[in-house]
Amino acid sequence: MGAKAENGPKPPPPVSSPPPLKALVKLKTKQQELLIRAAALALIYVLAFAIRLFSVLRYESMIHEFDPYFNYRTTLFLTRNGFYEFWNWFDSESWYPLGRIIGGTLYPGLMVTAALIYRALRFLTFAVHIREVCVLTAPFFASNTTLVAYFFGKEIWDAGAGLVAAALIAICPGYISRSVAGSYDNEGVAIFALLFTFYLFVKAVNTGSLSWSLASAFGYFYMVSAWGGYVFIINLIPLYVLVLLVTGRYSMRLYVAYNCMYVLGMMLAMQIRFVGFQHVQSGEHMAAMGVFFLMQVFYFLYWVKDMLNDTKLFQSFLQITLTCAIGVGTLALGIGMASGYISPWTGRFYSLLDPTYAKDHIPIIASVSEHQPTAWSSFMFDFHILLILFPAGLYFCFKRLSDATIFIVMYGLTSMYFASVMVRLILVAAPAVCLISAIAISATIKNLTTLIRKKSKAALTVSSKATSNLKASAKALLDQSLPFQRNGAIAVLVGAFYLLSRYAIHCTWVTSEAYSSPSIVLAARGAHGGRVIFDDYREAYYWLRQNTPPDAKVMSWWDYGYQITAMGNRTVIVDNNTWNNTHIATVGRAMSSYEHEAYEIMQSLDVDYVLVVFGGLTGYSSDDINKFLWMVRIGGGVFPVIKEPDYLVNGEYRVDKGAAPKMLNCLMYKLSYYRFGEVTTEYGKPTGYDRARGVEIGNKDIKLEYLEEAFTTSNWIIRIYKVKPRKNRW
Amino acid sequence: YKPLCFPLASTAERRGGRCPSALTRLGPFSDSGKQELIMAKSNASDAQALVRSLRSAYAATPTNLKIIDLYVVFAIATAIIQVVYMGIVGSFPFNSFLSGVLSCVGTAVLAVCLRIQVNKENKEFKDLPPERAFADFVLCNLVLHLVIMNFLG
Repeated sequence: MGAKAENGPKPPPPVSSPPPLKALVKLKTKQQELLIRAAALALIYVLAFAIRLFSVLRYESMIHEFDPYFNYRTTLFLTRNGFYEFWNWFDSESWYPLGRIIGGTLYPGLMVTAALIYRALRFLTFAVHIREVCVLTAPFFASNTTLVAYFFGKEIWDAGAGLVAAALIAICPGYISRSVAGSYDNEGVAIFALLFTFYLFVKAVNTGSLSWSLASAFGYFYMVSAWGGYVFIINLIPLYVLVLLVTGRYSMRLYVAYNCMYVLGMMLAMQIRFVGFQHVQSGEHMAAMGVFFLMQVFYFLYWVKDMLNDTKLFQSFLQITLTCAIGVGTLALGIGMASGYISPWTGRFYSLLDPTYAKDHIPIIASVSEHQPTAWSSFMFDFHILLILFPAGLYFCFKRLSDATIFIVMYGLTSMYFASVMVRLILVAAPAVCLISAIAISATIKNLTTLIRKKSKAALTVSSKATSNLKASAKALLDQSLPFQRNGAIAVLVGAFYLLSRYAIHCTWVTSEAYSSPSIVLAARGAHGGRVIFDDYREAYYWLRQNTPPDAKVMSWWDYGYQITAMGNRTVIVDNNTWNNTHIATVGRAMSSYEHEAYEIMQSLDVDYVLVVFGGLTGYSSDDINKFLWMVRIGGGVFPVIKEPDYLVNGEYRVDKGAAPKMLNCLMYKLSYYRFGEVTTEYGKPTGYDRARGVEIGNKDIKLEYLEEAFTTSNWIIRIYKVKPRKNRW
Repeated sequence: YKPLCFPLASTAERRGGRCPSALTRLGPFSDSGKQELIMAKSNASDAQALVRSLRSAYAATPTNLKIIDLYVVFAIATAIIQVVYMGIVGSFPFNSFLSGVLSCVGTAVLAVCLRIQVNKENKEFKDLPPERAFADFVLCNLVLHLVIMNFLG
């Protein structure tokens, strides 16, 4: 009854396994940290995959845009017919009557990757269709890119920067734009290969190990097989080596890393038929070879200097060797370039160095919308706060210079220059910007949190010691000024977190609104706010597939070629590969000529059907009438009979009554506006009101003599015409 | 103070000093001639000294490094022979020529990397066991020659 507890030994507590949470807390700090890091990385991995799924959820799982349809068709061929057939494939269904050597003119990395994933899933008895694999390849590789970004950040700075880099690149809109689910294009895989190669190379330079260099050579091989942008790697890495040599950071590790990677990487790259011998014959790859020879000379001199301990003798040796080497080098380069053996920089890459080159000389390159210079708004749209954090990150990198930070600074600066020249290359700059911004964020947050924690630790020590101690009183004095610092640090920290949360919101909004449209299915808001879907493209292609003879040839502008062959399964005259400018110019000429002239050209090409895209009824602005001037320019570039001023009125491009007579009667105008004069498009406007141009068309009474209308889709977006055979001659 | 105009005077004295007129007519020519002869002699002796010091320094390297150097010289010599042969015969199967030359150059470069990693004087690689360096060398050579065999045609 109320017996007090004895002060003897207490009975042992009942043995039971502690609840999991307590077990977690009981882990050592290092293990806790590892667990947090692994959990964060896993979440980032899933996030990178999930954010790219908007269009699959809103529409359906389909391939977007134009180029991915070619990749899809080739992947389909690969899975059905095997690698040998694929590697030696000659396709007679495109570029009629020329055909196209597909096996030798594509980058096989993407198709082989998707086919391997498909085979692996099939082996595990998941009965997936190859289209699903193709649609989800890009998000899968985006998730892998975040992992690589984590390791790369860890290599350059520390694990914290790696985590932040992974988080930033998971949702960076610049990367999302080309890697959403459905965007089955080379860049989806290539950015992973690019970052992977750079990571392996920096690791090789840091460790000086041959096996890491071998791995980076394989990474380079994967990049070469995936995308034509590998030229960036093969020029950036020699530039980096040169900068290291010039700044005096040469070391044996650099020699091992670069040489192994260059020789093995070059050999592996030449296995891709499309690249062929370019590594020894093209001007774009000569920088790497030049640096290779320079390194041999440089390290040879370094070795001799090490052996001879006499500087005077070495000076004379240096002079002889340098003059010989420079003489031989310039002689070889000069002979190579003069005789034409070393080809100069091709148009696509030359226009990066001289942005005005393409507009004057190569209209096809200038006409692609992705090749235009970037506006500031695009930068802000694609990078948001990273744009402001980029210079801050550069500052931190310069404060702690090492081989790895020099590399990331160079990668950042060169890729930003190229991103400003061409909109498409924002994609290449995205990983660099994310990494450098991650360094800024991580270093700042680390400094701020150490400031906060140091203050509280100092307060603890002060309170525990006796205040009569002189040291303690001095510390107390110091504490008086620190509260401001502490409050300031907390305020800045809160601001930083606010900015990062705004970044996340911005990225999600951008992905949802701007980068998730399939381009082949259009959506708009109806009068009552409901969603209206325009599925005209697929409607037209399926009509072609089901209602035309199997050997029918379709003429259209080159934008739609890949889609027509992939979905409509018919032969086309020109497609997106644009390898033959004269053939495209012939089609351009046909579209811009009068009907009888165009008929002759179409007969010479055996054309059975003509396909045009028309946006006047729906207000769709990427239609052929808006692209028409490019047809005129490209056609006029090869056939001088087509002159651009004939289609303009006072330099202005018009389709209404005041338009040029040649414009009102050319084939493209007639095919777009046939029977459009009878249609009322908007309440209160006259018939034949073109909603995309905002004018009433000039020629409402169009009669076609050599073609007849075969099919017009439900919203008049695609119009297909059949070419009538020649009249019987009496 | 009369400037001395010896034939072997230093260039500074020759520039600044003034010689008696009789000597000045003949002086510069004979001076420069003698100067060139001496410079040529010093060049030759310099070159000889250079070669001698190189040989003596090289003789001090360990035997295993000398074997690797011999291998590198052999590979480069083979590459040069192939290039000369291509010059005579023409480069028609260009892939075969490239694979031949690149296999020689590649293995030479890999051998140099091995030499760097195995050399005891390199502080950066002192933690690397030579067996690991050799294993890396063999692996890289294996990959190189597999690719060469695919490319040889």
